[in-house]
Amino acid sequence: MIELPLIFVGGLLGSAHCIGMCGPLAISLSAGTTAGSNHLVRQSIFSLGRVFTYGFCGALAGFGGAWISSESRGFVLSQAWLAIFAGALLLLMGLVTAGVLPRLATKRLGGLPCGAAGWLKTFLSAPGWPAVLVAGVFTGFIPCGLVYAFLLKASSSGSLWLGLLTMVAFGLGTIPLMVAVGYGGQFLSNVGRSRLYRVAAWCIVLTGAISIARGASQLDPPDNMATAPCPLCDSEQIQSEEADSL
Amino acid sequence: MPASFALGLNSKSDEIEYCCSGCRSVASVAEAESEQGAAAGGLLRLGLGIFFTMNVMVFTMALWSQDIYSDPSFATPLAETLRSVFRWAALVFALPVLFLLGRPIAAGVWQALGRGAITTDMLILLGVSAAYAYSAISVLRGSGHVYFEVSSMVLVFVSIGRWLEAKGKLRTDESLDALARLLPETVRLQSPQGDFLESSRSEVHTGDVLRVLPGERFAVDGIISAGSATVDQQVVTGESRDVAKATGDPVYSGTLNLDGDLQVEVTAADGGETVSRILNLVRDARRAKGPHEQLADRIAVWFIPTVCLIAIFAGYRQVQLAGWDQGIMTALAVVLIACPCALGLATPLAVWTALGRAASFGVLFRSGQVLERIAHLRHVCFDKTGTLTTGVPVASELVTTIHEDRQLVLRNAAILASGSAHHLSQAIVQFAKQAVDGQFESKHQSVETLPGRGLVTDLPGLGRVVLGSRRFTEENGLAWPEIMLHGNNQAPQQVGVGWDGLVRGVFQFREQLRPEATNALSACQRLGLDVKILTGDELVQAVAIAEQLNVEAVSEQLPQDKAAMLQSLADEGGVAMVGDGLNDAPALAIADVGVALGCGADISRDAAGVCLLGDDLLRFPWAVELSRLTVRVVKQNLFWAFAYNVAGIFLAANGMLNPIWAALAMAASSFLVVTNSLRLGRFPESLSLTESSSDGKIKEGYSNSRPTVDDNATSLEPPLVTST
Repeated sequence: MIELPLIFVGGLLGSAHCIGMCGPLAISLSAGTTAGSNHLVRQSIFSLGRVFTYGFCGALAGFGGAWISSESRGFVLSQAWLAIFAGALLLLMGLVTAGVLPRLATKRLGGLPCGAAGWLKTFLSAPGWPAVLVAGVFTGFIPCGLVYAFLLKASSSGSLWLGLLTMVAFGLGTIPLMVAVGYGGQFLSNVGRSRLYRVAAWCIVLTGAISIARGASQLDPPDNMATAPCPLCDSEQIQSEEADSL
Repeated sequence: MPASFALGLNSKSDEIEYCCSGCRSVASVAEAESEQGAAAGGLLRLGLGIFFTMNVMVFTMALWSQDIYSDPSFATPLAETLRSVFRWAALVFALPVLFLLGRPIAAGVWQALGRGAITTDMLILLGVSAAYAYSAISVLRGSGHVYFEVSSMVLVFVSIGRWLEAKGKLRTDESLDALARLLPETVRLQSPQGDFLESSRSEVHTGDVLRVLPGERFAVDGIISAGSATVDQQVVTGESRDVAKATGDPVYSGTLNLDGDLQVEVTAADGGETVSRILNLVRDARRAKGPHEQLADRIAVWFIPTVCLIAIFAGYRQVQLAGWDQGIMTALAVVLIACPCALGLATPLAVWTALGRAASFGVLFRSGQVLERIAHLRHVCFDKTGTLTTGVPVASELVTTIHEDRQLVLRNAAILASGSAHHLSQAIVQFAKQAVDGQFESKHQSVETLPGRGLVTDLPGLGRVVLGSRRFTEENGLAWPEIMLHGNNQAPQQVGVGWDGLVRGVFQFREQLRPEATNALSACQRLGLDVKILTGDELVQAVAIAEQLNVEAVSEQLPQDKAAMLQSLADEGGVAMVGDGLNDAPALAIADVGVALGCGADISRDAAGVCLLGDDLLRFPWAVELSRLTVRVVKQNLFWAFAYNVAGIFLAANGMLNPIWAALAMAASSFLVVTNSLRLGRFPESLSLTESSSDGKIKEGYSNSRPTVDDNATSLEPPLVTST
């Protein structure tokens, strides 16, 4: 899947923005550090918990996409339309983030309140890895515009495993910066962060464009058949992709 | 497992019996002293359960995917192997969920079995275990459906529901905890050597001497043995009126010493002082079950066996129709949707929250029953003296003969009265200050005080001047002119002032209405209550106060008359009697709800159902509003719990409800009941009803702040009275 590396880069650079929200959580992990315990291990477990949740949500979205495709089979090419819709959303988000479009939409997404932070601290400051893992798992559920956009992308894959892979790639991309921040690194200036975020924005635009193109190609088969495309053929294509990815 | 995870089942909280796993969670959280403890107690268990359930869900979805696609590749050996791997994976990941979330429920079930009781937890655990066992057998046999996701999700939702209930129960204590936290942990205790050493509050005994510095709260009740201070007694009286206290005055625990360095001799030590007694009273009130709670209890008795039967029959039917797995699913769904958690929580949670809220504003209910009863009142009777009035008289008029110089009479009376601290003397001084032109000599050195009778002095040019009761003045050879003897009949007390063989002027006194009395009574009327004043006074005086307050007054009521009146009103509907709890104790006891005013620290002195710690009459309509909202919340909760159960059981029994949805609905139902009940904890401090008067004019709204100056004080200037 050509988008996976792009999604990874989107997560990697996009997390420069996310540390505003999740950064303090990562930093408060050090509260539960006892002598001899490895801080880096705690940070990694926390991030793995997050990635696990992203993966779970991706699988759920992929399964949902597949279910919608199967339910609507023969009526509309839902998977193609989902891909186009997700692509359009990613494109829009990317363009807004890159500063090409006004910031109206992201403001609403970014302004979502986070009531869970205080509650999460209970886990973050507790010693032992299960608490840290659980904290990571719940942090993954914190509302985030970027996550939602990639979840839509995952659902457009129309496959449980592809959806899972999409979100795991995104989640893995977010690990390096989060671990660095949690480790006490304020090495990135605000300017540096916004530059990185701009690069991420164009990665997201590119992912969106590819998704739209993929959806469009499914809508309009290359051999220009007069009859409607056979849904079973589509599904074969997906399954073969799925098998490849496994 | 790390040490932090050890707390929970093996903790000492297990030794106590709990009605459900929600209560167990409450106990474990309450016992845990830190956030870390709270996490270890239940949240971590739940969090890990959710983590493993997410795993189960992914593998289950992978299995479901193959049902969605009708793909020839699924027939390949690889796909077959994968399917088998996914089934095993689901089994493996569901096991820790069963262990983590099922164990606390199992502990409760085990205890219930010990008592010979059947609980819904038992049925849920049975259903979940059956679903897991059926699925495990399917995996081992290599064929048949698996329901690991059902057992895991059900356990997660049930645990979330229980957690929400536990949190809700804990939060009903918030108001009380705030009160308890007012008591300082350490005190300065006088050692035998005479110096003051810091000690724990629990080490203080009756008779000890403590030193309390400005800005500190009193940890115990006591009497000031040295020093004086201004004390904020809001916590005890509900009103933030600062009170000046000096040697010999009592101080109460929890109140705040604003500005004095005091030594206090302890009269009631830790556990027996005012705040502890208030807390104990509220806790006792919670133990008494109100009619709604009794109703829920009665229903619960036959509810669980009925649900059990329905589950068995519905399950059996589905076994016949669609096989064992569907039978188990149906029975589990019935048990889940019929869980009477919401039913059991509906009343106590609302009543407890309301009791705590009321206590934090100085309104103590003796039981939840009283709280429910006060909501259904139709009549309220007020005692007059000491309840509607302050008990401190004001001089209302001065009667003189036409030949007298009023200014001279007033001036001389004031000179005498200023030599005494008696409340009638003070009332005369107050009256004179407003009525006399210019200053009068405020202090005369040679005023002779005859306690309880009168005052005598010699004034230049007039000779011996006497101020006192009729008897006293007559003993001193002063005659009362006829007009003064028949002056104002409404005044119960008269004080004469005279010299040279004649009483020159007579002061009439009347009782002073509490500043908030008018507002409180009109608020009661707007609440739809029939308001009456019961007084032992004569008709004329009763009519006067009735007109002033715009309510019906019944005069010449002896204690037995009051009792008979309350009895007859009780026949028409609920009746409350509001009194000061001293001379009207029988009436308070006879009324459906007795409300004692100004209980202050003496909360256990009377048998009134409701105790208003302060002297604030407005707290009565406030309490009525609070209790009406409480009953409304209880009814909403009960209605929801019943409606949801009936509709849910019908769907579930017909196999139309997946157990996962049933469990989710159960958690949502608990959430709804908890949230609805806890909004009573935010019941407004001020009374919305008092904001506008009956004539539509906006009056001063009530707030629990410093009282304003007496409205009546400004109208003290007497109508100049008549003479012959």
